[in-house]
Amino acid sequence: MHSLTRFWVTLLMALGWAFSSLAQAQTEPLPKREGIPGREEAPGLNTLPPLPEDLPGWFNNKGKNHIFYKRGPYNFDIYNIKRLAYDLNAVAVGHSMAYEDMVTGKAAGLDTETFERINWVLNHPPKFMPDEANVSPTFGRKYGVLELVFDWTHILHAQTVDVLASTKLSEAEKDREIQALWKFYFESVPYAISPLPMNMAFLDGQPYSMAFRNKYPKVNGLFWGYHWLQGAMYDMLLSKTLPQQRMIYDVLGDRYHAIELYRTNRPFMPMFAETSPRFSEKYPYIANAFDNLHMLHDMVNDILASDWIPEPEKEKQILRAIWIASATAHQGERPGDVKEEGGLHDHRHMVGMPGMGMMKYATEDVMWMDNMGWMPTGDCHHCTMPLPEGEEAWKAPTVSAQGWTMRVRCPLCARDMAAETKGAVIFHIPTEDPLKPVVIISDEQGNLTTDNPGVLFLEEAASHRKCNRWSSAFSSRKAFEEYVATNPEFKDAKPLSFEEWAAVEVSGKKPDTYVKPEGPEGNPYDKAQDDETQAQKEEE
Amino acid sequence: MRIRLLANAWLPLVLFLSAHSSLRAVDHNNVDAGRPLSFDDAEAIAFRERAAEIGTGGIYPKGGPAGLAFSTEFLYGFALNSHLSVDLDAAAGGRAGTPEKDFQVGKLGLGLFHNFNREYGNAPAFSIRGDVALPTEKGAKGVEIRLRGIASKALIQYDRLHLNLDGIVTTAPETGERRFRPGVVLGYSKPIGYPRSFIRTGVAEVSLQTPEQKGTGPVMSLGVGLRQQVTVRSLFDIGIRSDVLALDKAPHEDIQIIAGFSTSF
Repeated sequence: MHSLTRFWVTLLMALGWAFSSLAQAQTEPLPKREGIPGREEAPGLNTLPPLPEDLPGWFNNKGKNHIFYKRGPYNFDIYNIKRLAYDLNAVAVGHSMAYEDMVTGKAAGLDTETFERINWVLNHPPKFMPDEANVSPTFGRKYGVLELVFDWTHILHAQTVDVLASTKLSEAEKDREIQALWKFYFESVPYAISPLPMNMAFLDGQPYSMAFRNKYPKVNGLFWGYHWLQGAMYDMLLSKTLPQQRMIYDVLGDRYHAIELYRTNRPFMPMFAETSPRFSEKYPYIANAFDNLHMLHDMVNDILASDWIPEPEKEKQILRAIWIASATAHQGERPGDVKEEGGLHDHRHMVGMPGMGMMKYATEDVMWMDNMGWMPTGDCHHCTMPLPEGEEAWKAPTVSAQGWTMRVRCPLCARDMAAETKGAVIFHIPTEDPLKPVVIISDEQGNLTTDNPGVLFLEEAASHRKCNRWSSAFSSRKAFEEYVATNPEFKDAKPLSFEEWAAVEVSGKKPDTYVKPEGPEGNPYDKAQDDETQAQKEEE
Repeated sequence: MRIRLLANAWLPLVLFLSAHSSLRAVDHNNVDAGRPLSFDDAEAIAFRERAAEIGTGGIYPKGGPAGLAFSTEFLYGFALNSHLSVDLDAAAGGRAGTPEKDFQVGKLGLGLFHNFNREYGNAPAFSIRGDVALPTEKGAKGVEIRLRGIASKALIQYDRLHLNLDGIVTTAPETGERRFRPGVVLGYSKPIGYPRSFIRTGVAEVSLQTPEQKGTGPVMSLGVGLRQQVTVRSLFDIGIRSDVLALDKAPHEDIQIIAGFSTSF
């Protein structure tokens, strides 16, 4: 044999041996997961539901299968609001770091070392979006299909935000493009997340549910904190000018960093319709998909955090969780369908909120809202009168404070509701023109400022039965006069300037139409609230 | 792509480019031949992705004047896990293995890359790429065909090894030139800065290539480089390579300095 040929043959054999040895070395089991002291008694393995038979082929996918995002002039326009763009970049590492630590035997440090690592990035956000797959390579090798599902939906997240932050598209173009993005998301791959409202009590009622939040409340708080941001930013961006978006993010971003990231007492993950009711009403299928995605994240967290589940069973349960959240599992079903009440195929939604599935312990009319108590979902949160729906839904103002965003029926309801809350408040007040909403910010002391000092208000207080008629905002004097001319009962009304409107003294009384909503019997929230009230009294 | 140049480590002009993208950004951690070293990792660009890359390099051949190399390439992800590439390179000044010093446009290269599987469990990611260099340069005859098998595998956690095995066939070798030349590159990549910075990857390689000229021995090269994201869609890369061992009077280069820019759109 020629010496050069012999050289190459020997070299290739040696490299082949080395590479196969590397593979062999990695078949060694990963470090044993460290147990977490104080965990509750584990359910039996027989409580775990079986993996559905005949899962689609893509559940066994071994390809990378990357698909390039939809092209458009708006891509990366979120950088118009740099602070938000950077915060969203940081979000990309949160789950990845935790997943990687959980599959490499470092779960015991999740609420300490991992928390610190994630928190550092969240507070020093990167200028460019990190690739999650790079941050969690071990997790990706083990749960590649899950990674594919997450990545694909994260792209929809990023691109819809880019569209809303774009200054190159008109409102109508933005609307069309968001619908086109959904079509691209939903039809390009078989592994889209379901756009249907899902029963949250079912999703959060699995044998492993709540394991993660109970064991690792601080890290879970970070996750839910940035899920809050990912929800809240949509209403912030929808139908707003760039200056308005920046103005709002100054408030929202402060709250995100100071409070939302570090809350460990949320009763449930933040839902899209709770944080962005206008977006959720307009694009319920997208809001549902994002909520379902976030629930999938929670389910995976809970499975990985459940030490009583052996590794092979974890893999099965994660596949089952993907199946539950996938559009494939719900083909042919529609919003409102109920094949099994409280089960996998319960697609009812809260009244007036097509973008939110049935919440835990809720009826269709009322749900428990953190910091607010029981709230009607289809009525004004201030006067309990019905909110506009469908084509008219844009006419409802919103109030964002203390982490929630609520729809109200009129500017007066918004102002009075804001006066009852602590901290900074963001108002979204529609005028007669859907393209010209007014943004008002209330600081900690209740001082109001707006981006549009020329706005005029009609306020001829009477019964709240018609508050949406006697309390309105107008983008110009001409619009005010046109409204008065077509509504003779207000012919003597004087328009209020922003300063005059902002200076109106709040009565402090509940509106004449107000009805205090009550939750269903036996719900755990009432007792928790009573206990809290009692404790406060004792403290005083 | 200029296969002859690629295969012979002393002419690194071949800067095959390709900006690998993750889903939303050019990904510094997905490594491509030429950007800046000679090895590929086993990942194709995304389906429907387009990428453009340019590169330049300084060449310091043993016993000859310095030269410059330029390269440009366009890639398109025409199917899931597969991409096509078209490339062209050029050189000016001194280069090893040839007395040529004038500016010269090289061969037009056409390539096809396919990834069979991602890395899962203990299985490496496997890919194959085939390239054909057409005789578009002055005086060239025949074509060169290169097949490259690629396996990428995690070493510990973030570190990865990339084994590239090359077989190059020249359809019309000149007198004294080999018809078939094997080659091998072992590449290494590791993100730098984790868990606080996520914008750069360090790369290194050791390669063995068979020179074109019969009677010369293999050339061993070492290289190190850096890939750094500079905008949401683009990367800058820089690298340095050296032919550290050249047996039986194989032509080689003391140093090659390579820099490039990749973008996806």
